[in-house]
Amino acid sequence: MKLKLIPKNEQELSKLFVILFPLVLILSSAVMFLKNSYFTFANLLPHNSVFNYGKLASIENQISFHLLIGVSLSLLFVYLLSKSLGRKMAMFPLAFLTLLGYLGLLFLNILINHSIISLFLTLIVFGLVGISTINVLAKKENTIFTSGQHIYGAVMMLFIASLVSRSSLDIYSDQLLISALSSSLINMSVIPILFMSAIYFLMTKALGATLYSKTLSSISFWGFLFLLPWTNFKYYYGSVLPNWLENVSIYLSLSLIIPLLAFVVNYIQTSQDNDGESQKLLSRLNFSMILFTITTTLHIASSFANLLPILGLTNFVYAIKFGYFSSLVIVVMSLILYLIPKLFGREVSYKTFDNLGLSGINFSLSLYFINNLIIGINSGYSWNAGANAGNPTIYGEGFQIQWELIGTNLMANTFISLLFFLSAVLYFITVIKSISSGAVTTVEEMVSS
Amino acid sequence: MSDLVNKVAELLNAPVDLVQRSAEARAAASGTTVDAVLSSWAGGESVTSAAPAAEAPKEETPVEEEVVEETPVEEEVVEETPVEEEVVEITGEVVEEEVLQEVEKESSLSFVGGVVAIAIFTFLLGFSIPKNQEIAEVTESLNNSVEVTADVLKGAQVYNELNCQSCHTQNVRALIPDTQNGKVLSNKFANEALIKAVGNLRTAPDLSTNNTREPTNNAQWLERYLKDSTSVNRDIPHPSYTFVSDSDLEYLITYLLSLGENNE
Repeated sequence: MKLKLIPKNEQELSKLFVILFPLVLILSSAVMFLKNSYFTFANLLPHNSVFNYGKLASIENQISFHLLIGVSLSLLFVYLLSKSLGRKMAMFPLAFLTLLGYLGLLFLNILINHSIISLFLTLIVFGLVGISTINVLAKKENTIFTSGQHIYGAVMMLFIASLVSRSSLDIYSDQLLISALSSSLINMSVIPILFMSAIYFLMTKALGATLYSKTLSSISFWGFLFLLPWTNFKYYYGSVLPNWLENVSIYLSLSLIIPLLAFVVNYIQTSQDNDGESQKLLSRLNFSMILFTITTTLHIASSFANLLPILGLTNFVYAIKFGYFSSLVIVVMSLILYLIPKLFGREVSYKTFDNLGLSGINFSLSLYFINNLIIGINSGYSWNAGANAGNPTIYGEGFQIQWELIGTNLMANTFISLLFFLSAVLYFITVIKSISSGAVTTVEEMVSS
Repeated sequence: MSDLVNKVAELLNAPVDLVQRSAEARAAASGTTVDAVLSSWAGGESVTSAAPAAEAPKEETPVEEEVVEETPVEEEVVEETPVEEEVVEITGEVVEEEVLQEVEKESSLSFVGGVVAIAIFTFLLGFSIPKNQEIAEVTESLNNSVEVTADVLKGAQVYNELNCQSCHTQNVRALIPDTQNGKVLSNKFANEALIKAVGNLRTAPDLSTNNTREPTNNAQWLERYLKDSTSVNRDIPHPSYTFVSDSDLEYLITYLLSLGENNE
């Protein structure tokens, strides 16, 4: 295994992210487990300024929904963007430094919460926008392949999210507006768009299939890019956000059905054309697609006016963003296993041990997703019912009713996240084992300029 | 003919021979192999590399068909004058290749423009306009500022540092079930620390009207509960803030006791 301190090309830099992703995945799952433990066993565990539920929830959000997504974006940006454009990456050294700075700042943001870091993050994401724009404009191929389109869209949405999150808080509704839009942009736009970018690559190149329809892929790309950023406002239905914004969000969320159908049909038709040599990869892609489709369907279904008051401001919203997060994690894991032979010249042997880790992650992520959906629905329902009983928020019977409904599921979250953590460790071992001692194979040819 | 040629031919709705010849011409022009070219047309990867996804150039189909229609004419000429066959064949390939490239051409500028337009649209309509609209509404009202003491502000900062809003909200909505929790907060100017405490996950009780309810309006009860939640309720998990300094805990309690007065 050779890792160069200063990589000379996209392939060498991709190697770094191939190793970094499983490490950050372990970190993410470990903090998730700790956070849940501090909720379930709040009365048993020792508390200090770091090890308490509030702080761990904040750290988990930074690691899972920022750092891990940042590493995924970096891998896709470096490996797929240039290939999609048929040329070596323009200004590669600058891109390398920008991505390094981006990940460094995301890591620093976990430790220090200071406005200067968010300023630098905005600047560095702007740099990424600039580099990707130059690359797209300087493409060598006649078309921009779908994966590249999605990566560019994701980077642009990330930039808007960083601009929004830097906005000043002047009045009460500002916080709701910022958290609604930035969460919508990162968790419900950047993550699903990155997921689609990887899926389009894997379902054609890795499965040896021909894309069923370019038109459908365009419908899904432009549809999701336009609609997804608006879909989170609806969960603030009844709050001090402008009513028109909540209503627009409801209608645009319902419109998601069109790009979703285009995407699913394209995937099904394309994957049926696979060469039959990568059945394991196909089953993992199918799993992530099912998770993505269910998440988006629930995201659409929650737009109905009689459901919104129950589901808004609950774990249901967390479950939706977790569903997208899980889809991306599964597909990036698959991409990494696909890239190991291409980049390191080593085969991945899918033995029982390796399959256990992969299945464990699939199982734990989907279970965590379902569990949080149940928590969201139950807490929203009991909250409303308790409020009608007139005693909702006092530390007495009102909240006790809610706790009895969600307590078991919250406790289950702890054990599910433990399974996720253990599976992430197994996955890391699989990656390292394959890179260091897998059977030798041919390394992929570099992109020529 | 390989399977790949058949796939591409099917995709382009063009004869296999024509696809094969076009690919050969393209391969010769770009200095790569025929298979690489065919793969790029079939699955969406760069001609110059082994790479990524998804471009079935469906748009090419009509033009491809036009070229196909011309082919028999070329063949007729070939049959009549075998000597000229090679010349005609080569010319035909170049034309086909040029047509193919022309059809595939997709403007980067319009793609980038489209993405940037969506981003600007989202930022303006989803953020700038509603934010300014809300501020304008507040500016017009007479009583729109929040007067709080320095201790309350310090307490709000402690509240934010402990991330209490990861479970608690201060966000009563204009919905019948919610309004029974307290009054809907009017949209008013406030300090950043106070605004940050809003929260958006109702896992724990809403604290908007904390000071108007029993027993949370009692400083002693709050202190006991925050230091050791089990002394009040063993079933509901709540962190015990024994690690928070006495002065910070006092600020936090002062802040919690201010909720209800400021929010009405």
